[in-house]
Amino acid sequence: MGTATGIIKALNSGIKHLALKRFTLRYPEEKLKFVGDGYQFDPTTGVGIAGLKGRHMLFHDHCTGCQLCSIACEGVAEAIGMVKVPNEWKQNKKSIMPQIDYGKCVFCGLCVDACPFYALYMTNDYELSSFSKEGLIYTPAQLQVKPFVAQDSEIQISARGATHG
Amino acid sequence: MSTPILPPGLAIQKADERIMTLNVGPQHPGSGHMRIIVQIDGDYIVACDPDPGYVHRGEEKMAEYRNYVLNVPHLERPVIHDSCNVLYPYVLGVEELLGLEVTERAKYIRVIAAELNRCVYTMYWLAIYGIFLGHSTMFMWPAGDRELLIDLLEKMTGARVTHSYFIPGGIRNDLPANFEDVCLRQVNYFEKRIKEYADVFYENPILISRTEKTGVLTRENAIRLGTTGSVLRASGVDYDVRKKEPYDVYDELDFETNVMKSGDSYARSRIPWLDMMESCRIIRDALQKMPKSGSVRVKLKPNPKGGFDSVYKRVESGRGALGCYIVSDKKPEPYRVKLSVPSFRNLIALPHLLIGEKLGNMPSTYWSLNYWPVEADR
Repeated sequence: MGTATGIIKALNSGIKHLALKRFTLRYPEEKLKFVGDGYQFDPTTGVGIAGLKGRHMLFHDHCTGCQLCSIACEGVAEAIGMVKVPNEWKQNKKSIMPQIDYGKCVFCGLCVDACPFYALYMTNDYELSSFSKEGLIYTPAQLQVKPFVAQDSEIQISARGATHG
Repeated sequence: MSTPILPPGLAIQKADERIMTLNVGPQHPGSGHMRIIVQIDGDYIVACDPDPGYVHRGEEKMAEYRNYVLNVPHLERPVIHDSCNVLYPYVLGVEELLGLEVTERAKYIRVIAAELNRCVYTMYWLAIYGIFLGHSTMFMWPAGDRELLIDLLEKMTGARVTHSYFIPGGIRNDLPANFEDVCLRQVNYFEKRIKEYADVFYENPILISRTEKTGVLTRENAIRLGTTGSVLRASGVDYDVRKKEPYDVYDELDFETNVMKSGDSYARSRIPWLDMMESCRIIRDALQKMPKSGSVRVKLKPNPKGGFDSVYKRVESGRGALGCYIVSDKKPEPYRVKLSVPSFRNLIALPHLLIGEKLGNMPSTYWSLNYWPVEADR
């Protein structure tokens, strides 16, 4: 193949892309769709349920204050600390619950694997930025709130290329 | 006044009329997190001394203080783009130490995840290879098409990079519903896309004249210096751990290794591209042969312990043969974890390749070695 033919072929391949659709995701306006309701773990079978590993969600009525999540996190990120909560919850005799520092968390999900009581899940919430380091620390009360996550865009493949439709 | 004793490379060297010493790095452009000390005569390189070690993280020492499961998140950090493959030998080794039998479905899913991850790594590598040669289209296209596979891995593992997906005893979670169809569709489109790179990059006469016959590594030198992976295969040695010592289910899958004879920078950049097409083939084959249901993870006791034993396992990562040596001494933590990384072995070839080359060919030759600084330093 001659040099001129090769260069023309390369240019031609680039020009073809003018007719293709754009693959870029326009992020703050469009947001990606995820498969499930976040990463969860089934302690009876010992297998997780597929989903995005995002911000945690804590179920106060299930948490017994056993600290297993905190022990699991000690070897990874030391992001989970146990804090005092009011003595109203009967199942939680120690009255402690996890508080998660998202400045340290690496979103590995091993705390969710460690929880034997279905108390700690991960949700699809990934927009956790804050102006201060204190804002990244989520107390048990904040972790209880189920986040709303906009999901509207999925990769779609057609004859004119892939898009985030 | 006595002169301070400086580490080698930092000492002020005697000025020469012709030879100039140039430090490329350790700040990022064109070198990664490392320094290449190059001595040049005009435009030609007369000597070269790569100086890695700027991003040493002590992964091996950290592994001695954590139990076998908690080692998973930090051991994948050396190469976050190839995190499944970096974790693979560790997981295989721990399974042998603890005597765990992994189910068939988990093995297939691990192979699919590892192959997807190899493509993700190679696309990132290719994007940087393109920008090192000043070919900015080749930066944009792989960086964009990589998204197709990152999306699949995100559906599978829940994270875009650093998946923490493999675990001693199988994998963390089963595939989501309807994953097979989505995977097949996106992998097929991905393969169609990477074939388009031929016209714009690999068959482009400008690229060929730039990279052909530069940084030639002969077959004898490639074996003598102990290079692995795409560097070794580009020099004409047909060696792939997936073929020679098949792990998990690679012996049941249908694929071939790509070998080129010339051993130059062009061949070293072409081999990973051809390997990506083989990866797509493996993924399609594995999706077909995979058992449709079944358990994917063996339930572990808390703080599992091995006997007095040691094990060495290796896999083919995106860069070459990656080994992991684990010694256990009847404690929940391993006594020693040693990663034997391909990046460091391929870097050894760099001083031999650059002598007599022009300085302008240095970035492309350096990056064609498939070198990842963080992995070499661990």
